[in-house]
Amino acid sequence: MNNVFIIIPCYNEAEHLAKVIESVKPYGRVVVVDDGSTDNSFQIAVSSGTLVLKHLVNRGMGAALETGDRLARSQGAEIVVHFDADGQHVAEEIPLLIQPIVNNEADAVLGSRFLKPTSAIPFFKKHFILKPAVFFQNSMLGVKLTDAHNGFRALSCHALEKIRITQDGMAHATEIIEQIKTNNLTYQEVPVTVIYHEFGQGFLSGLKILKDLIFGKINK
Amino acid sequence: MVYLPLQIIVTIFVVLVVFRLTKKYKDNILKTSELVGWLMIWTVVLVVFWLPQTTSYLATLLGIGRGVDLAVYSAVLMIFYLIFRLYLKLDKQQKEITKIVRHLALSETNEDKEQKSN
Repeated sequence: MNNVFIIIPCYNEAEHLAKVIESVKPYGRVVVVDDGSTDNSFQIAVSSGTLVLKHLVNRGMGAALETGDRLARSQGAEIVVHFDADGQHVAEEIPLLIQPIVNNEADAVLGSRFLKPTSAIPFFKKHFILKPAVFFQNSMLGVKLTDAHNGFRALSCHALEKIRITQDGMAHATEIIEQIKTNNLTYQEVPVTVIYHEFGQGFLSGLKILKDLIFGKINK
Repeated sequence: MVYLPLQIIVTIFVVLVVFRLTKKYKDNILKTSELVGWLMIWTVVLVVFWLPQTTSYLATLLGIGRGVDLAVYSAVLMIFYLIFRLYLKLDKQQKEITKIVRHLALSETNEDKEQKSN
């Protein structure tokens, strides 16, 4: 069994967190990064018996993931899985996600909801947010991916050594793909299910991501 | 020469600003280059208000119709530049805050605390 670390960044997810933690426990060492939650997410994570890291103030999902990655690096993780705390992802798909890394076929595996016919993506989100985002990402970064900003991904220890998330907010998802490309890491996409709740990233968050990416380049 | 009230007000304002700048410089808050930069900017403000015809001269050199237009364009450009600089500084500070928050998060996990209490 590989040394798998499952990183769950969490900000005010008290409603789903306990269930999410229990669902992923069979698949590896769970690390919850509480990103300055103001509800009782932290207490829930601690009482679930997992390793919990606490950001004293909210820094964003990218920052929380990097904190989790750092811990995984220091503890000799062989595979790291990024998993959302809001119950969007399906824990049973973790073995499928890490399989290409276990088989030495890829350094990074990205979940894609477009490869899975069962993913019921809301019409507006699919055609007016996700598809343009995928087009933008592929043309800017020179990659051929079917999905963008799907938080369900797995990284090998080699990829983990190379990738450093500097984008604190949601732009981290594009930054990770950019670093996969610039570090010549091999990658694969795996079909995953995304369960939609009423929230998620809208058009304005898309603009914020774009702004963060541009300023991130200027302010290195 | 007739002095306009605005010229007097602006001059008093500039004198106060320069006074503050020199105090900051003495307290080592401002670098020499920053002090010089700010003094130049405020000198230009004084020149524009006391000798408005200089802006007309510069404006015709640059192909802009009126001196006052040049002053407004330059002011807008400068404000944009300062906002940009401020934004970059803010972004850098945000990154530094993240570093501190991350360091604190990694320095003591809930498992470390449990071990200590046992």
